[in-house]
Amino acid sequence: MHRHNYQRILFVAAALLLVRPAAAEPSISGTVTGADGKGIADAVVFVLAPTPPAASHVAPQVVDQIGKAFVPELLPVVVGTLVRFPNHDQIHHHVYSFSPAKTFELPLYKGEDAPPVLFDKVGVVKIGCNIHDWMAGIILVLPTPHFTVTDPEGRFTLRDLPAGTYTLSAWHALSKLKPEDSAQSVQLSQDAAQVAFTLSLSAARPRRAMHGARVEP
Amino acid sequence: MRGWNDSSLRTKIFIAFSVLILAVLLATLGLTQLVVSRSVEATLGRELQTTGQVFQSLMEERAARLRTNSTLLASDFALKRVIATHFDPVNYDPATLASAGLSYRQRIGVELVWMTDEAGRLLAASPANARVKQSIARLSPLSEALESEEATTAVVQIDDGLYQVVAVPVFAPDVIGFLLLGRTIDDAVAAQLKADTGSQITFLTPTRVFASSWSGPRRNMLAVSRPQPAGPPRPYLANIDGERFLSLAMPIDAGVPQLHALVQGSYDEALAPLHALQGRMLLIGIVALAAALLIGISLAAGIIRPVRALVSAMHTVLRGDLRHHAQVDRGDEIGFLARSFNEMVDGLQEREHIKNTFGRFVSRDVAEAVLDGRIPLGGERLEVSILFQDIRGFTALSEKLDPGTLLRVLNQLFTEVVAAVEAEGGMVKQFTGDGVMALFGAPQVRADHCERAVRAALGIVDRLTNVNVLLQSQGVPALQIGVGLHTGEVVAGLIGPDERVEYGVVGEPVNLASRVEGLTRDLAATILISKEIAAHLGPQFLLGRAALLPVKGRAQPVEVVEVLGHQAPDNTELPGPA
Repeated sequence: MHRHNYQRILFVAAALLLVRPAAAEPSISGTVTGADGKGIADAVVFVLAPTPPAASHVAPQVVDQIGKAFVPELLPVVVGTLVRFPNHDQIHHHVYSFSPAKTFELPLYKGEDAPPVLFDKVGVVKIGCNIHDWMAGIILVLPTPHFTVTDPEGRFTLRDLPAGTYTLSAWHALSKLKPEDSAQSVQLSQDAAQVAFTLSLSAARPRRAMHGARVEP
Repeated sequence: MRGWNDSSLRTKIFIAFSVLILAVLLATLGLTQLVVSRSVEATLGRELQTTGQVFQSLMEERAARLRTNSTLLASDFALKRVIATHFDPVNYDPATLASAGLSYRQRIGVELVWMTDEAGRLLAASPANARVKQSIARLSPLSEALESEEATTAVVQIDDGLYQVVAVPVFAPDVIGFLLLGRTIDDAVAAQLKADTGSQITFLTPTRVFASSWSGPRRNMLAVSRPQPAGPPRPYLANIDGERFLSLAMPIDAGVPQLHALVQGSYDEALAPLHALQGRMLLIGIVALAAALLIGISLAAGIIRPVRALVSAMHTVLRGDLRHHAQVDRGDEIGFLARSFNEMVDGLQEREHIKNTFGRFVSRDVAEAVLDGRIPLGGERLEVSILFQDIRGFTALSEKLDPGTLLRVLNQLFTEVVAAVEAEGGMVKQFTGDGVMALFGAPQVRADHCERAVRAALGIVDRLTNVNVLLQSQGVPALQIGVGLHTGEVVAGLIGPDERVEYGVVGEPVNLASRVEGLTRDLAATILISKEIAAHLGPQFLLGRAALLPVKGRAQPVEVVEVLGHQAPDNTELPGPA
């Protein structure tokens, strides 16, 4: 985990260094809060419309399996993304999904053997492991490459957007709202725009006894 | 009470025994009924409670097994795949799902397998059900499972059957649907419970019997019509087809309103040993009554026969046979009575013998005095008056009269003499041929024996007048008598051998009295008394001449006084000289 975060921090720092000289690009920032006013972490904010034409090349993504858990547990991707599921545990995993957006199965494998899976349909893909019931993850297949994930305080910033009018939506695994229902229209000019989303989340399902194995060494 | 007193001994004994036996029998029967029926009720109630608990634990055990089975099955990847087909309209095939359900039914031995999507829409059912493609989200236990996303169980009515159903979510890895497994609660379950516990069990609502260990028409006579009070269920008696059953209606928490498990045990069957016991006790009672009758008869006979024999002996004795004895052949109270009777008869016989023996020789007074113990058998010294009476010229008279007339004359005279003596409380001691010797003051001690003796002498003279009148009318010459009296201390007692014993006195005064009587001839006096007598007389006696005369066998002469009469206080008539 530490190694992973370290990589992520390096990547972000490098990106900032690269982008900074060409600054002055407008960004949309804001918050996603719950009914109680507290910020919601791990909410995905994305541009619902307009959808850009399908990109000819989309960078492949990775959902790793480390310590009998999916890393990350939530992976937003733009439709057409190839996702690899490397297994860094010393045991086999059997990754599957029955979600209508993508039904697939990667039968028992170890290491990097599994072929990448193409997520070619917008929707929520819930993935699991056939032999470890507690392993759960979500690949959120979005119609746009413009998306971001809220920090622990529920704050987000969408960058790299040209000026224009956008319909933004917020999604969370525990929200029952469809993306259309949380949609907000934003006018993005030279200045930064502010958007606030409010989502009511259903109670998280209590972790069952077998989920306790998630923390086993 | 009069009826009781008048009834025979046999009846009394029988009635007493019967009352005792009946009271004991009734008390025993009543007590047994009370104790045994209470005990049976308690035992049966406990059995019913146990059956209820067995049923509860069976249901819990079945539910636990269903939960385990369904959880395992829901984790089966193949099932997840099968259920996930509903996400894709192209692949969704209820027939395939139902056949998969059939396979699961056979695999884990349940009677019902239903599959729903994540919202509770029935995807497939085995056996086939009309609700397929409809939502059953409101059906318990699915409604609870939808809420909790955990396995839940409930007893529900599905179509015509009663099922214990578990609903368990299928995770892939989030809920993609629900699996419902059901086991029927049918007659076989009830029969198994009955085999395990011995109690009848029925699953029913007030309007419907779902399953029962009863078969035949009795099954349709069941009802939980009795209002069930709050709190734990209590047993009650229900009459089914003429047989009483202790019943316990235990409510079942189910999706079916007013569903009960009615547990029943035959009260009459449990009481059968009591009734058998009571029958035997009644039989024993009847035998005891018959025995009481026989005992009454034989006891009464045992009492009545000797009593009759005794009464008969009493009648024989009453008729004068004092030698008769009652037969005694027993040692009890009756024997004691008979022995006492025989002793009494012996006593009577002895007294009669003594009386008879004495009576010939002594007066009735003496005999009674001896029998009463008033005469000491060792003799005693007594102050008495002795009277001698003699007929003057008897020898000449006896030659003149024929023997029959002579004895008749004597007897007429002696009758009067005895009457006069006894009138004054004296005792005729002996007849001396033509005379009489009498005692006064013995055996009965009398202080005034002198006056009594003199009054008796005057009485003899007085009565002689009447005798002479009678004799003269028969041509017999008048009799002349002499009476001599003396008083003094004598020895009195029973004299003579046993068979001839008689009361008598001995002593000088007796001889002197006889001498005084002899002097009457010399003085031509009728009554002569000694000076010792005269000294004891009151003034009412008229005395005549006095004389001092020598007597035979005595050195001293004897002073005698003639008695002429007696002035009685209530009699003004002066007795004339004889």
